[in-house]
Amino acid sequence: MFGFFDSATQWILGLILLLSSLGVILLRKPVHASLSFLLTLLTLSIYYLQLDAHFISVMQVLVYAGAILVIFMFVIILFQDAYQEIEFTQPKSSKWILAMGFIFLIFGFSMFIYMILDLPSKFSTLSHDYGTVQSLGKALYLDFFIPFEAAILLFLVALIGALYIGKKVKKE
Amino acid sequence: MNIIVTIIISLAMFGIGLIGVLSRRNALVFFLAIELMLNAANLLFVGFSKQWGNQIGLVWVFFILVVAAAEAAVGLAIIINLFRTKKVVDVDQYDSLRG
Repeated sequence: MFGFFDSATQWILGLILLLSSLGVILLRKPVHASLSFLLTLLTLSIYYLQLDAHFISVMQVLVYAGAILVIFMFVIILFQDAYQEIEFTQPKSSKWILAMGFIFLIFGFSMFIYMILDLPSKFSTLSHDYGTVQSLGKALYLDFFIPFEAAILLFLVALIGALYIGKKVKKE
Repeated sequence: MNIIVTIIISLAMFGIGLIGVLSRRNALVFFLAIELMLNAANLLFVGFSKQWGNQIGLVWVFFILVVAAAEAAVGLAIIINLFRTKKVVDVDQYDSLRG
């Protein structure tokens, strides 16, 4: 399609992604942070559509915005009265930890930049059913059958574990 | 869609998430920053999957989504349980397992 239009869309989406993910960690109230995270997720979904990953784009909205963020909102409702007091407590020893994080980040960035210097800049040709439900389902059920079943088991264990951990402990 | 821009966006998102985990002390924002890092990894998977025309990357994104959902369930249950016992959401206060 139009090369300029494509890259302009990409930059705009990237800018929205960066600003909203900055909002996740900079906004003070968890409700605002999670709404900013919702904007990140929806923008990521549009970005996936631009990259021809249709199924993943829909799954992103369904799983993240539909399930995870809703659970998250419920937890925030539970915590409603708790987070007023913590806004004034100072974090312990976060300067050293932050410095370590920055060093790690700089290492990571330089390594990745070194790695991407010799990438091919053209996309390889995509098959006509790239990213659709049919082809991904075929890949999941034929090539990745065992990991798929393991994922089901993981879900079951997570469900039971969450129920057990979240259960009210009886006082003796 | 240029792959270099995708990589830069994904790295920046991962860095923002990492800094969020290291600097914010609210357990809920902590959790959101972890999800941000998972999403950055997903973005990289999708970008490279299109770059090489290979669908395996999308399958891995699917598995990361599964892991993220399971992690959300268990992690939020743990946060609720900690909040019930300590009555705070500050992760610096959760030090009863520290020796």
